[in-house]
Amino acid sequence: MSRMLTMSRAGREALDWEMERRDEIFVLGEDVYNFGGIFGTADGFGAKYGPERVINTPISETGFIGMAAGAAMAGMHPVIDLAYIDFIGVCYNVLLNTASKTHYMSAGQVRVPMTLMIGTGGGYNNAAQHSQCLHATVAHIPGVKVVYPSNAYDAKGMMHSALRDPNFVIYLTHKGTAGVGWMGTPIKTTLSEVPEEPYTVPFGKIAITREGSDITLIGLGMSVHECLKAADDLAKDGISAQVIDLRSLAPLDRDGIFAAVKKTGRMIVADEDYLSYGVSGEVIASVVERDPTVLRAAPVRICTPDIPIPFARSMEQAILPLAAKIADAARKMVK
Amino acid sequence: MTEVRVPLDLWAEDDKTGSIVVWLYPDGAIVKEGALIAEILVEKTTLELYAPASGTLKINVEPEVVIDKGQLVATII
Amino acid sequence: MPLSPELRRNMYVQMARSRAFDDAMIGLYWVGKTPIFAFANGPLPGELHCSNGAEPVGAGVCAALDVDDMLTADHRPHHIAIARGVDLNAMTAELLGKKTGLSQGKGGHMHIYDTRVNFASSGIIAEGMGPAAGMALARRLQKRPGVALTFLGDGAANQGAFHEVLNLVGVMKLPFIAVVQDNEWGVSTSKKESTAVARNSDRASAYGMAGEYVDSNDPDDIFLAAERAMTLARSGGGGTILELRTARLAGHFMGDQQAYIPEQMKQADPIPLYRAKLIREGVLNEDEAAAIDAAATAEVAEAVRLAQEAPYPDPSEAFDHVFAQQDEPNDVFAQQDKPKDVFSGASA
Repeated sequence: MSRMLTMSRAGREALDWEMERRDEIFVLGEDVYNFGGIFGTADGFGAKYGPERVINTPISETGFIGMAAGAAMAGMHPVIDLAYIDFIGVCYNVLLNTASKTHYMSAGQVRVPMTLMIGTGGGYNNAAQHSQCLHATVAHIPGVKVVYPSNAYDAKGMMHSALRDPNFVIYLTHKGTAGVGWMGTPIKTTLSEVPEEPYTVPFGKIAITREGSDITLIGLGMSVHECLKAADDLAKDGISAQVIDLRSLAPLDRDGIFAAVKKTGRMIVADEDYLSYGVSGEVIASVVERDPTVLRAAPVRICTPDIPIPFARSMEQAILPLAAKIADAARKMVK
Repeated sequence: MTEVRVPLDLWAEDDKTGSIVVWLYPDGAIVKEGALIAEILVEKTTLELYAPASGTLKINVEPEVVIDKGQLVATII
Repeated sequence: MPLSPELRRNMYVQMARSRAFDDAMIGLYWVGKTPIFAFANGPLPGELHCSNGAEPVGAGVCAALDVDDMLTADHRPHHIAIARGVDLNAMTAELLGKKTGLSQGKGGHMHIYDTRVNFASSGIIAEGMGPAAGMALARRLQKRPGVALTFLGDGAANQGAFHEVLNLVGVMKLPFIAVVQDNEWGVSTSKKESTAVARNSDRASAYGMAGEYVDSNDPDDIFLAAERAMTLARSGGGGTILELRTARLAGHFMGDQQAYIPEQMKQADPIPLYRAKLIREGVLNEDEAAAIDAAATAEVAEAVRLAQEAPYPDPSEAFDHVFAQQDEPNDVFAQQDKPKDVFSGASA
């Protein structure tokens, strides 16, 4: 059998392979040279590629992400490491108005091939400003592709795809799934057998992570793994749960979502982002606006509530969309 | 049979201990000499453990258990 | 490069073309917007920010540039675009939202792109700073020539992006010039009210780069200062904040009565002044100057005629160009001689 990799290692393998062969790829971000980025995405790259291609930036996201967009416009393919999605506030204009819209506003004269890697999520007591998911905030922007692998196989394949895409791609990784040791022992379901050769995973397609017939549990990032745990639990009660990994937010696989939910007639969306105005509502709308009669029960969203994320473990654990909550909701729907 | 021990020079400080973050192959898997088989965490740094020989991996120590330099963590048969 | 008569004459030509263009656009703008003003009305809808009074900046700076150089500009781009050689017919059509426009009607007046001459302008204040620095970085990594310039107003020099990018330029010693056009007003707020220092060029030392201020709004002075900044950048000496005092004669946007500008702060029109100077110094005579003006007017009139006759884009085209099409996977590794960018200029 092939080796098992963590998501961090798998994504890094893809980036290394592409960077070795294509001079236009370079990495920039805070602490990328010495630390390889906070989540190890460019571990060892400083020594291998040198400071010209692995650029340690000052703390100035509007500045260096804007700079990356310009480098992309002039023929490079920058890969930016932005450790926490909570920080998009300090560079949002580049995402919202420059990187995503320039191709359109120039009617295709100017391309912005740029990969922005961002870490999401909480559950480890990092409080309100360092634990957010903000999936909807980035997926909402027209002109950007947003992908969100939740296992090592997808991490490598989607990284290859992102680096070969001539557009602005946001590549999200939930910190708890990356497999870096100081976030705790990697979750088993994030590890995958990963081929040594390069391969691509297409954007815009869900993954059916587990087959099932009674209910469809839909997750993204960390909540995929919570859905899998819930499914294991439900199996003990004789409930067969299908688990879907969205893994691509923009484009969103509405056809795939609909087909999966049609099969079971019941849907729960588990999304660690805030409840309101989010991906969870978008997924439900994708089914209901197509044909509400496929549902045998009202759809359910299990999300972080619309509150700033609290620090104390007792509070934080209580608000996350964890397996127990998902399983309870599923039992109520199936009864 | 080859012992897989945490190399004595894997990290510098003698007073620090580590733990296995993850085994990249399951117990009983065939591994090749030189392959990366585990990640070891010492404080915030992730270090790498390579297979000293080819053969079948037999894991002795699970993740999240404190380990020391020189400790036996697996064998390769 | 010395200030040859030919160079100076050409700067006058660019200023005349720019003024003819802006005056024509102002005329078109008001069609359908009187007696009741509404942005959405008329053949040239939306907001319009004209460069009347700032022509010396476009003419003087662009005269110091090569084909390899790259420009980003802001919501008031016409004088720079024209001096740089942006396709005048296509730019006119773009302002009218026609299919034959630079962006096929998708961009409009604030979003002017012409990659043949490495020109990109966009509408968020100070937004062009980062991309210009990135273009300079790209050329360094690609080992190709090219200096990047970004044009912005004095009001933009207080935006976060200005400061962050200048620090990056200073740290990385990028071949980059920030051309700050000091027309003394940020919409209706005077520079004195908004800026902690008298001159943004003095901020340069805070970023380890060069700074120069030109007071005269005269293209000769501007050209020489731009040349100094370009020489520094090309020789690896890093960036410059080049601040140029200039005039904003037509308001922040069309419709701005500028009632907030007191009489003693009214600004002078640089075009008659430069015209008179060139005549005085024997570079031009009256007839030649008049001929230049007439040619500019005629060129713009033709551009307007072509634009008015051109079709509007089909509504379905709104869905085109959201994304660049993916290459076949194999093509990514088909090594071309040059990177696959569109800021290729003549050196590609």
